[in-house]
Amino acid sequence: MTAKPRVGLFVTCLVDLVRPQVGFAAVKLLEQAGCQVEVPAAQTCCGQPAWNAGADAHAVDIARQTIAAFEGFDHVVVPSGSCGGMIKRHYPEVFEKDEAWLARARALAAKTHELMSFLVKVRGMSGVTAQFAKTVCVHDSCSSLREMGVKAEPRALLGSVSGLTIDELKDQQTCCGFGGLFSVKYPEISERMADDKIADALSTKATVLTGGDLGCLLHLKGRMARQGKALEVRHAAEILADMGGEPALGEP
Amino acid sequence: MSGGREAILQSIRSRRLVQSPKPQPYSAPKTEGDLAEAFAQRLSFWQTDVRMLDSMADVPAAVADVLRGKNMAQRVHIAPDSALALDLPGIEVLREPPGQNDAAVTEVPFAIAETGTLAYPAGKGRPASWHFRPVLEIAVLRASDVVPELEDVLKRLGGVLPSTLNLVSGPSRTGDIEQTMELGAHGPKSLAVLVVKS
Amino acid sequence: MNLDPRNFQQAAREALNDPLLRPALGRMKTHFGAGRAAAVARYGDFEALREAGKAIRDYAVTHLDELLTQFERSVVARGGTVHWARDAAEARDLILGILRDAGAKTVTKGKSMVTEEIALNPFLEANGIVPVETDLGEYIVQLRHEPPSHIIAPAFHLSKEQVAETFFASHTDLDPKRSLVERNALVQEARAVLRRSFESADAGITGANFLSAKEGAAVIVTNEGNGDLTRLLPKMHIVVTGIEKVVADMNDVAVLLRLLPRSATGQPISTYVSVMAGRRGADESDGPQAFHVVLVDNGRSKLIGTEAQDVLRCIRCSACINHCPIYGAIGGHAYGATYMGPIGAALNPGVMGVENAAHHANASTFCGRCAEVCPVKIPLPRIMRHWRAVEHSKGLAPRSITAGLGVWAFAAKRPGLYRLGASVMAWFLRMMGRRGTVHALPVMQGWFAVRDFPVPQGRTFQAQWKARRQNAAERIGLEGGNSRSRQQR
Repeated sequence: MTAKPRVGLFVTCLVDLVRPQVGFAAVKLLEQAGCQVEVPAAQTCCGQPAWNAGADAHAVDIARQTIAAFEGFDHVVVPSGSCGGMIKRHYPEVFEKDEAWLARARALAAKTHELMSFLVKVRGMSGVTAQFAKTVCVHDSCSSLREMGVKAEPRALLGSVSGLTIDELKDQQTCCGFGGLFSVKYPEISERMADDKIADALSTKATVLTGGDLGCLLHLKGRMARQGKALEVRHAAEILADMGGEPALGEP
Repeated sequence: MSGGREAILQSIRSRRLVQSPKPQPYSAPKTEGDLAEAFAQRLSFWQTDVRMLDSMADVPAAVADVLRGKNMAQRVHIAPDSALALDLPGIEVLREPPGQNDAAVTEVPFAIAETGTLAYPAGKGRPASWHFRPVLEIAVLRASDVVPELEDVLKRLGGVLPSTLNLVSGPSRTGDIEQTMELGAHGPKSLAVLVVKS
Repeated sequence: MNLDPRNFQQAAREALNDPLLRPALGRMKTHFGAGRAAAVARYGDFEALREAGKAIRDYAVTHLDELLTQFERSVVARGGTVHWARDAAEARDLILGILRDAGAKTVTKGKSMVTEEIALNPFLEANGIVPVETDLGEYIVQLRHEPPSHIIAPAFHLSKEQVAETFFASHTDLDPKRSLVERNALVQEARAVLRRSFESADAGITGANFLSAKEGAAVIVTNEGNGDLTRLLPKMHIVVTGIEKVVADMNDVAVLLRLLPRSATGQPISTYVSVMAGRRGADESDGPQAFHVVLVDNGRSKLIGTEAQDVLRCIRCSACINHCPIYGAIGGHAYGATYMGPIGAALNPGVMGVENAAHHANASTFCGRCAEVCPVKIPLPRIMRHWRAVEHSKGLAPRSITAGLGVWAFAAKRPGLYRLGASVMAWFLRMMGRRGTVHALPVMQGWFAVRDFPVPQGRTFQAQWKARRQNAAERIGLEGGNSRSRQQR
């Protein structure tokens, strides 16, 4: 039997702060998939807020720190398409003019994966042992869809959860309007985009909105809470790790 | 103002860092089967009355029928010097440019199967504006003049363009009001194509 | 009407509150969005076509000097004249000079975004020349004294009732009791009115979708046929276009013609494609007797060799606009610029200055849909991000944002401090929360303006993880040191 692959879990700053359960769910799922999971203490944020704001010097420093903390692992797994996309697609851009770091950034990018696609594509997981007797709709984050190429994997895994039914959104391509600092700088535009997405979700039979990116989910839940709309919001990893019994996002 | 040319060229040259190579030739998906059939099928999709005729002898009756179908007088405009040698019994033929409510009969030198497109190189007897002035254009095309794609038209023209080359795929249309398609914006409201097989 | 890109935020708010705009934007999504998707699916290998289009445009953008001078030689050989304009003012003066030399008083115009960019119409009017827009959408917005709200559907934001009102107010020589309820009645009225303009115009001005260097031809695509009547009926045809529109030859144009209408409206080809090479031939009975091309730089050449160079590949199909969720929320007028949506966001800061068009680059979630549908694969979010970096490095970004980023980045570069800060923040947010969410804070006001923030579940992940590790380690110590899978290395 081959040795267990060593996986470095990049927790993401939002999971760390708001929804630690997603991190524990990720650890559980990765261990079920036969991985040895470690969580380097030297991680903070992937640096995307700085990079997207054009604050390149900050992004460089933070990216170097992340690369140094994670380059020793066999794989880096992120419970977010957005933070995963930052490492996989944008770290090489951050170091476009720095050859030494570019090589390290590319090496890290090559072994960085979004959680659910890692479970399915790299570890061959075809299903989970979990119960969740509810109808869910799945929100694909733009970075999951277009930077990480993740769409089928969350559906494959969620489809194996006992009792769970998926009722899809009509529009699975359009952004929910989070966009990090965008949601703060252009709140009214972001609000309209969120409302369109929420209307789509409410038009399904789902009582739960799930997805792989906590940023989108915080934004959508925050908007629904403000409007008094009662759709439960959870990260997909929680459902897959059989932690769906805990209070949902933004619920007391 | 004559300094503009050199300043612009200098601006382009002084800033350029790298030059991309000449692109590989592109080969579009090929039309399969009978070219004239493919042409007719594609153009029909765009609100065009495409009729397959056995010979030039069938053209006069078809012209008369198209006019009747549109409740129009049996009167058409045909360009002076047109290569169309048509004897149209019972149909008045006028040689001046058609007005916006008139019908014109035109000769189509080439057509493109890939997109269902008529190709009109302007020239003697083929005034370009006649494809846009009338309300009804009746175009006469020989099936053997249907080529697979635009590149073939360019080849047949021998690398020398006429002053105007018009590619026409259906009657004039607009979606500018409420994104809803309406026919007859400026050019013809109706297009009929008579494809003569031999 | 917002005519200042710096006023983007306020104009966007107004657009969001415009009740007529929402249904129009909804139609755009279903028509253009679904139309493109169907056309792409029907084409064989659309990805290979995009690659070919990108290569053709990349070659052109990096050989502009050669291709433009070749184009000029070809036009001159066919009896035409080429003029070069460094900026908008020079372009306006050149065009006025050409028209004055010909004694022209009225001009019909085909659709041209470059003439919008250089604000040609008000300039001609001020100089005693009457320009008449002939593309139906352009005609409608001209009558209403509005700029186009979309680069290929200039009046999409208006209802047919608004168009009818405009026609009643403008076509005062027609029967005031006529019915303009049906869309086709509006189309037919414009056809009749504009036909008179075509027949009486002294000159016609069109844009160009492409210039073909080898043949000296300008190529336009239309569905109405207005561009052709603009060229063919008056004595003089003037093409006004950007220097980047040139490609090597008509075979390259043929490839791009497969991309442009499919990406724009979902048509495999537009109803009319017109290849316009010089003045009428000796044996022709119609067509212009004089042919001029005005090549406009206006900030384009300075993008060469920069991170924004790829934006010059643009063929102005509007696919990025049609698929942009920001444009889909606010429409085109809020941008306060000729080019809106993602192409505007990538182009405007470079041409108009970052200080003027920074909002365009910032008002994006980087969702990536624009780059995904771009027929010539312009990395639009990447170029927008470049402008944000320029804005940041010049100290032009809002202070609240840079200061906040600075504090956050200081901590993010110090993991120990960051963990402490996160723990304090988690505790603080739990203190502030009511029934699961925080409703307001004195910071991040943009967030709290429209939404709550879900209260953290408990201590941070890192704090809980550390505690679990310590517990596990103690247990291992007590049990005699059996190695466990989670042991830290």
